[in-house]
Amino acid sequence: MKRERGHAMLELAVSAGVMVSCLVGTFQFGYTFYAYNQLVTAVGNGARYAAQRTYRAASEQDIERGNAAIRNMVVYGDAQPEPASAPVLPKLTPEQVNVHWELAGDGAPRSVNISIKGYTLDAIYRSFTFDGRPSVEFPYVGKYAPTEREP
Amino acid sequence: MSVCMFLLLAVVGMAFDLGRVYIARNEAQIFADAASMAAAQQLDGTAAGIDRARAAVAAMPNRWNLGTKKFSGVVIEFSADGEQWDQQPKNLAALRFARVTAPDNHVEIMFLRAVGGPQEFTVPARAVASTKPVRLTQ
Repeated sequence: MKRERGHAMLELAVSAGVMVSCLVGTFQFGYTFYAYNQLVTAVGNGARYAAQRTYRAASEQDIERGNAAIRNMVVYGDAQPEPASAPVLPKLTPEQVNVHWELAGDGAPRSVNISIKGYTLDAIYRSFTFDGRPSVEFPYVGKYAPTEREP
Repeated sequence: MSVCMFLLLAVVGMAFDLGRVYIARNEAQIFADAASMAAAQQLDGTAAGIDRARAAVAAMPNRWNLGTKKFSGVVIEFSADGEQWDQQPKNLAALRFARVTAPDNHVEIMFLRAVGGPQEFTVPARAVASTKPVRLTQ
């Protein structure tokens, strides 16, 4: 009787190591892929919003305010979020969203590129840093307003 | 034990492989959306416009497979009414729609195929855009 109990303990000890590492790995990659998918969606939606938004370029500040609205759209799904809004992923901030405009000679935007820079995802057992990915580019189809100011 | 292993592999496969499949599907759809808008924007009723539309799609920097792979085998079609699609359209002046299909996105399956799943999973995407987009935002 005693011998059998020892066997079972040994078996559990050996298989638990394999099982636990499998579960940890599954969680880690499953969660990371889920989070990456959320980021792809957020960046895609933000880029789409940027592509259709009126590009008001009366001054540098107006362009920057437009970019801030786009960053908010990526992070909160809302250009003017409520103060207590939660980001799509924990600890994602608008500063981690890169908005890059490709401009034509006359200053009119040709395309817009949105990407994530330096976001670290905490998957508990390990953390992953996304830098430059995901990145999405959309052609600009909105209205170019070189003299308008942001409201 | 072998039943347990089978189930474990299946669960790992679901988390890992399906995770990648869903990301690829998302990336492909975003690419198709952006590329069709880029193509439609170039249409101006001339043959040069068609060439520019094709060039614009080819120049799209969006990638898939976690942002690493370029889209290949992309099909660009044009239409005047949104029903008849043609890769080499004849009546250029009437063209109003561009449709982009990214059919060749094969995600390689790693774990699920060990438990009888497919070798790869294809996640095609398609989008249509018109030359006069509706702007919903200010």
